Amino acid sequence: MEDRPLEDDELVARAQRGDTRAFGTLVEEHQTIAFRTAYLLTGSAADAEDAVQDAFVKAYSALGRFRPGAPFRPWLLAIVANEARNRRRSAGRRERLALRAAEDPLSGGAVPSPEAALLDAERREELLRAVDDLREDDRMAIGCRYFLGLSEEETAAALGWRRGTVKSRTSRALDRLRDRLGVTA
Amino acid sequence: MTELERALVGLGAQLDLPETPDVTAAVLRRIPEAPARRRFPARRALVLAFVVLAVAIGAVMAVPPARTAVLEFFGLQGATVRRVDTLPAVPRTSATVLELGKPVSSASLDPFLVPAALGPPDAVYRSSAIPGGKVSLVYRPGPDVPRSLYTGVGILVTEFRGDLDPEYIQKFVGSGTGVEQLDVDGSPALWIEGEPHLVLFLTPDGGRREDLIRLAGNTLLVQRGDILVRIEGEIDRDRAVAIAESLGPP
Repeated sequence: MEDRPLEDDELVARAQRGDTRAFGTLVEEHQTIAFRTAYLLTGSAADAEDAVQDAFVKAYSALGRFRPGAPFRPWLLAIVANEARNRRRSAGRRERLALRAAEDPLSGGAVPSPEAALLDAERREELLRAVDDLREDDRMAIGCRYFLGLSEEETAAALGWRRGTVKSRTSRALDRLRDRLGVTA
Repeated sequence: MTELERALVGLGAQLDLPETPDVTAAVLRRIPEAPARRRFPARRALVLAFVVLAVAIGAVMAVPPARTAVLEFFGLQGATVRRVDTLPAVPRTSATVLELGKPVSSASLDPFLVPAALGPPDAVYRSSAIPGGKVSLVYRPGPDVPRSLYTGVGILVTEFRGDLDPEYIQKFVGSGTGVEQLDVDGSPALWIEGEPHLVLFLTPDGGRREDLIRLAGNTLLVQRGDILVRIEGEIDRDRAVAIAESLGPP
């Protein structure tokens, strides 16, 4: 929401009046973060796609009860995460998401944010292994906050935690990573 | 940001994630022409309640006028209470079914709260039917808690994220039911006591209704931060407030 409050507000208001094109724009703008969140939770691209599609359909039906002026993204991510978790449960799978670093880091066209530190291959693998070894809660906190770039509020919505819990688990996860990597910072 | 945090952001940008499929067209094909609108939700819900109840008990009911006037309105984040001039006669038997979700261990309750005053719950249920989920804590009847005619248990505590679903609970009360606005430890609350009232739990996905409409007994609604807590049982106001004051992390 921080980046474009007016646009989301306006699109939601139009969609609430039955403007499906406005809703289509909301889908286009938020489907990437929705898909990545669902992928983080399910570990399966196919499940994530189904979850995202169903979540947008449910979100549209629920728009009448969306609180005006509230940020759209956390609300949407809560619905997406719910769908994603249902799928993982119903499939009876508890597999861990296997994170892999891309062969050529910039091949996906991803533009790293100015805050991102570009890592050499060795350091990347070491960090990835350390994250992979974390317990589930910690991995999810790190995944949402740093890999997906979600805010604390959005992470709370996606994981169904309180904001204070997001804060404390993230800091616990960072401490564990530091221990493992022997970093003092 | 620390060096480690910057490294994690960098790693995130270099992860091999599957490409995002474009679901826009598929979603637009599936959504109905008009979404659930905010206009007159109460009246529509009430009419729906009558229809469902009539079907449920297999009898033609004398349906009160659909234009039942809303005489008073009380709102919390997650729940609304409307005083109406005509409340439908709901048979008490309709209250025997509680859709609580799946039983879970109380270890998985975060971010929800547990009332220390009641001790550990006898059963815990979690449902993912609404954004953020819903938990229900069930306490058996005991020496100081009679069995509720409406829930069949002693005390029922229901919690959900009121900020994500601002009108999940809708209540309708008639003239024989008192509604009192309270402050419980700085949190806004509503105490509903007297004649049984009508409660509707709505699902976020519009037309699909899997929740129930039933009569409810004395109830305290408390808005604790983002969590809306509903405490129902044959208890008095002071007891309900004491239970609410003891709510804390599991």
